[in-house]
Amino acid sequence: MTMIEAEELGAIRAGFARLLSEKCSEAEVRRVMATESGHDPSLWKAIAEMGITALLVPEEHGGIGAGPVEMESVMEEAGAALLAGPLISSAVLATGLLSASSDADVKERILPAIASGETIASVALTGDEGLWTPEGVEVTAARQGNGWSLNGIASFVLSANVADLLLVVARTSEGVGCFEVAPGVKGVQLQPLETWDRTLRFSRIAFNGAEGRAIGGIDEQVVEHALDLARVALAGEQAGASRRIFDITIDYLKTRVQFGRPIGGFQALKHMAADLLIEVESATSAARAAAQALASNAPDKDVLINLAAFACADAFGQVAATAIQMHGGIAFTWEHPAHLYLRRARADAQLFGQSDMYRERYVAAMEKAA
Amino acid sequence: MTDSVDEIRKEVRDWLAEHWDAETGKGRSAGSVRDWLDHVIAAGWAAPSWPAAYWGRGLGKEETSAVINEFRKVGAPGAGQDRGNIPANSIMQFGSEALKRRMIPEFLRGAQVCLLYSEPGAGSDLAAVQTRADRKGDVYVVTGQKVWTSGAHKADYGLLLARTDWDAPKHDGLSFFIIPIRQAGIEIRPINQITGDSHFNEVFLDNAEVAADNRVGEEGQGWKVMQTALAVERLIMGEGAGERRQGSMKDNVVSLIDIARETRKIGDPVLRQEIAQAMAYRQLNALNIIRSKQEMAQGSSSPIMSLGKLAMSRILHGDAAVMTKLLGAASMLDADANPRAADVNYRTANAFMTSIGGGTDQIQRNIISERVLGLPRETEADRTIPFRESRAVKG
Repeated sequence: MTMIEAEELGAIRAGFARLLSEKCSEAEVRRVMATESGHDPSLWKAIAEMGITALLVPEEHGGIGAGPVEMESVMEEAGAALLAGPLISSAVLATGLLSASSDADVKERILPAIASGETIASVALTGDEGLWTPEGVEVTAARQGNGWSLNGIASFVLSANVADLLLVVARTSEGVGCFEVAPGVKGVQLQPLETWDRTLRFSRIAFNGAEGRAIGGIDEQVVEHALDLARVALAGEQAGASRRIFDITIDYLKTRVQFGRPIGGFQALKHMAADLLIEVESATSAARAAAQALASNAPDKDVLINLAAFACADAFGQVAATAIQMHGGIAFTWEHPAHLYLRRARADAQLFGQSDMYRERYVAAMEKAA
Repeated sequence: MTDSVDEIRKEVRDWLAEHWDAETGKGRSAGSVRDWLDHVIAAGWAAPSWPAAYWGRGLGKEETSAVINEFRKVGAPGAGQDRGNIPANSIMQFGSEALKRRMIPEFLRGAQVCLLYSEPGAGSDLAAVQTRADRKGDVYVVTGQKVWTSGAHKADYGLLLARTDWDAPKHDGLSFFIIPIRQAGIEIRPINQITGDSHFNEVFLDNAEVAADNRVGEEGQGWKVMQTALAVERLIMGEGAGERRQGSMKDNVVSLIDIARETRKIGDPVLRQEIAQAMAYRQLNALNIIRSKQEMAQGSSSPIMSLGKLAMSRILHGDAAVMTKLLGAASMLDADANPRAADVNYRTANAFMTSIGGGTDQIQRNIISERVLGLPRETEADRTIPFRESRAVKG
């Protein structure tokens, strides 16, 4: 993956931010999250036209050929706006898996359509326990004739309800592999799940002898690499969302008057704000450093990705929760946006792995270096 | 721009090659350090950004950086004091012409200063100082008590904040002086710290004298002069501390993991979580500093530098707490009974130097929320009344 010029990246990000401020306002987010699919096809089209879905797709397959640094940057904007829909699922996780595969046919056939936004892909890679580790894979695949037959359960499949294509990570007798499955085929039973954050949609998928097509060259390492890409993108989302709800809170502290003065003049709140600023800045630094390290395959890549994964998740959780407390009663109402950030923070803290796991991996990576 | 930077770089390089012996770490004319500094001053390298009439060369920011870098490369002292010499900068900015001529060369030549700012009754509320400086003819007579002064014994001068007007509001009645420290009216007593160290002193002034000509700025301008001096100090601390923090990251990472190995707790999953969190705070701060430097290099201002001290106190207290857990009962021991414990005990106590010194964590949070986030200032009950009417004086 190549890095694009800083100036060009700035322009892409600014354009994306403008689009989101126009078409992904809080009112729009609320409208979309109340729909059955939780997905806005017209917004998706606009995002795709802007090239956001093509960022990680290699140039030879109709993409822009950018990398983690660029993706992290635009995800900060997506997070700030609480963008709903399949961006991480299709443009990061699925794209990461397919780009790293050795399957020329699949790449040629699917990647251009993902880049253009015509195809939405979703990756099934964990079972009911939601572990996002190789041990967590509960679907098995066995050869049947020229193809493969898939059995078992995948859950927490992000944006599968709107996917045109499923990439299913499954165990085989030769290790972990990945299979292309059409959502509508026989033996695939997709059950959309109710979610606490209605801007995120998960499905539980039961495979009963479903027909799959093996994608060449995807093993545990490739899956882990695609997950790292998704973790960096998610860290960007968390950093951007933390900053936005923090800014909303600081603005409120300056305008809300009690006891005859703005509540932002009270030390109890000023000190909370100062502490949160450290979290917000740290999350931004961690997400960007992880993106850089992944892009350059740096020796401390594992250290920095795991650091970003737990630091950004924890920061977002703390900032979103504290924001509600600092607002007081107004933020206990459905109409106030703060709870939307708390919902996303709580979900993001589970997606692709949890902080305790990342902290453990971080120490292990540090031990290696020490 | 770049041409002139290259030109200056070459000139400095040639000059250093001619005059500095990197192997012995001395000037080639083999005189004292003072002789070397005289040389540097005469060549205009001591304060390159100042005008030629004031020991400088009128160079721009980039050229000045180039000068400093060339000196740093060969380990030669004395260049670029227009960035870091606190008394020289204060005098340059606020001092009278006579004071500039008389004292700046002395400070460029390495005269040492200590800071006489804080008092027992003026810590977080520094503007409440009650050390008095009364004008008597050509001198001011100074009486009062200062605390937390480091380096008092080796100092030639003290930078003194004292009250000259008791009827003005507290910030407006202060003046700033450069007072000779070795005189009959000044007594220095070391403070015994909770670490067992004595880095700081109390300084008692009893009818000490300072020439009226040694006042920096006008009477009543002292607060402003001190703020400028503090800004120079923070600049030095920010840069130096930033480098030290980054540099020390690795050491500390090794030591937390090393202690866990030593104490055979490296496999404890609960402690591993705490080790991770402690190391993460340190690394996040280092990443913040790197990012803020990048952002400042690109010309955008960064609020992150002002977060560093608050972040560092969490780091230091956190490290000490995790180390204590790793040691367990051994943390009750000290000195030769357990040298590792002695180190951790020291860290535990010394962490308070960062969370209290130079503005407590609580004051830092006020500063961050006011200056970075734009939240309302703290109300001060005595900000606008004559100082003699304030509770600081009346009790």
